[in-house]
Amino acid sequence: MINLIYNEQLKLLRKKRLYVIMVMIFILVSLFTYAQYKQTNELIEKMGHVNWRVQLQQKIVDTQNRLNSTNIPNDFKQTLKIQVSQQQYYLDHNIDPAAPGAPTFMRIFIENAISLLLPLLVLVIASDLVSSEYSNGTIKLLLTRPVKRWKILMSKYFALLLSISLILFCMALFSYLISGLIFGYNGWSLPMITGFKADGNTLNTTGAYTIPLWKYVVIEYGLAWFVGVVVGALTLLLSVLIRSTAAVMGIMLASLIAGAILVNMVSSWHSAKYLFMLNLQLTHYIHGTNPPITGMTLGFSLIVLLIWLVISIIFSFAIFTKQDVY
Amino acid sequence: MNKKIILIFTSISILSAFICFLGLFWAVFDKHDTIQSNKRVDHVNSEEKKNSSNTVHIVALGDSLTRGIGDDKGKGYVGDLKDMLIKKSKKKIQVTNHAIGGQTSSELLKQLKQPEVRRQLRQADIILISTGANDLFQGGAALDHLNMSYFNSIEKRYLVNAKHVYSTLRSLNSHATVFHIGLYNPFIDLEQSKLTSKMVSKWNVDNANLTRDYKKMIYVPTFDLFQLNVNDYLYSDKFHPNTKGYQLIAERVVSLIVFHEEGK
Repeated sequence: MINLIYNEQLKLLRKKRLYVIMVMIFILVSLFTYAQYKQTNELIEKMGHVNWRVQLQQKIVDTQNRLNSTNIPNDFKQTLKIQVSQQQYYLDHNIDPAAPGAPTFMRIFIENAISLLLPLLVLVIASDLVSSEYSNGTIKLLLTRPVKRWKILMSKYFALLLSISLILFCMALFSYLISGLIFGYNGWSLPMITGFKADGNTLNTTGAYTIPLWKYVVIEYGLAWFVGVVVGALTLLLSVLIRSTAAVMGIMLASLIAGAILVNMVSSWHSAKYLFMLNLQLTHYIHGTNPPITGMTLGFSLIVLLIWLVISIIFSFAIFTKQDVY
Repeated sequence: MNKKIILIFTSISILSAFICFLGLFWAVFDKHDTIQSNKRVDHVNSEEKKNSSNTVHIVALGDSLTRGIGDDKGKGYVGDLKDMLIKKSKKKIQVTNHAIGGQTSSELLKQLKQPEVRRQLRQADIILISTGANDLFQGGAALDHLNMSYFNSIEKRYLVNAKHVYSTLRSLNSHATVFHIGLYNPFIDLEQSKLTSKMVSKWNVDNANLTRDYKKMIYVPTFDLFQLNVNDYLYSDKFHPNTKGYQLIAERVVSLIVFHEEGK
């Protein structure tokens, strides 16, 4: 088994795809850091100084003004209302939710990457794990070895898990190192508030508690990892089913992008909450943002994703072990 | 060589997987029930007071007038005022605008309870407020109830709120000058302008009388500014001032501020 996994790792690294992903993450993080830096500078210019409390209060007032505008859709209004009460809560407890620093940047980066960027990178790895063996014809060499088929697929799963972990590691490392150059490397112990419950119009703060930022970041990366695993497993299932890398890519891309679009407009279509792509923004629950459909919670999303994960694993093993190879 | 790289990559991946799994575990099972405030307020406050001698802190509160709705440039009289003050004074001007469009006097009272707003008011050198327009006009709906008895009941309620607002401001900050921007009559060109103008003037007089009970509190009249050619100074909604109209208000307030600084 170890040898099989080693073999898969060798193939992955030979394909240089992991390096490409690392370079991509590096460039993206640099871009985001620069953008953030520009934004802070502009804020300083506009507001005169950088007292976060003044800024946050200003943000609250700005949002309240937007709320008063009549042409905002109702569900967006709810999101804004939740946002205002959350910001007010932070302000009342004298905690800066966006204190500048590399750890805060890491947090913001993963919150933005979890629903699209991270799944895309996972997709790049997972989409041809199986299908490329077919298109290259190497599947026959692999399957004629005296190894059980499920073991081969299992080794591919492990290699995928390792790659996803590596991608997240690179995201964390690069965003820490690069943004730290500008924002400083401190701030791991800053308090963050979590445990908000956003239901409909109001923000329930009774269960709220503070945790240090480092723990907050670890939790968010953990959730991102889970999202990566689910997307990876689904892609692998498609890769087993379809055998064409381009088609796998196309289907997964379409569903991910559809998810990103749907999130903004499904508030009244309740059964959509069982789609995996609407449950990818797990960090929102930690953060306390209004969910796309009322009634969705962290536990709900995790269970939905888990069901998709289990089903795709069962199907991919069942199909891969029975499939005719020619 | 190749084997080494693979081993390194694999071990990093395994390590990272463990950390992520820990995070996932925490996300699901970790529960706390304490919330502690960050107690650095006093420290920060003293720091801010040190720099404040060189800067003029202006805090603006109120409704859409202070927000600047109707100004194409989006500045409103507060923004114009800032620009004019920067030209006139060598001091740094720092403005925070907490105005919310559509705010009534009772909503303003609620806003005055927020700790951050209170903190900033304590540090302010100049406080600008505009309130009352939404109490009186209710966004134009008042035109349907044009009678004096209805007006009197609204005004009575408003004056109680206004008194509350003023005393809150004074208890928070006794040294800042407060400028309350008065009402103008946006309906002066419409039917029954006599009645509406009478209402607005009475409102202004009563409100101005109220401000006299407090030190350094000035009720800035705007009624006359919009009395002639009202349509030249109104935005296309015929309710809010336009860029020119805001400029007029700003000029008036600026002249008062400079006068006040010289008087010191």
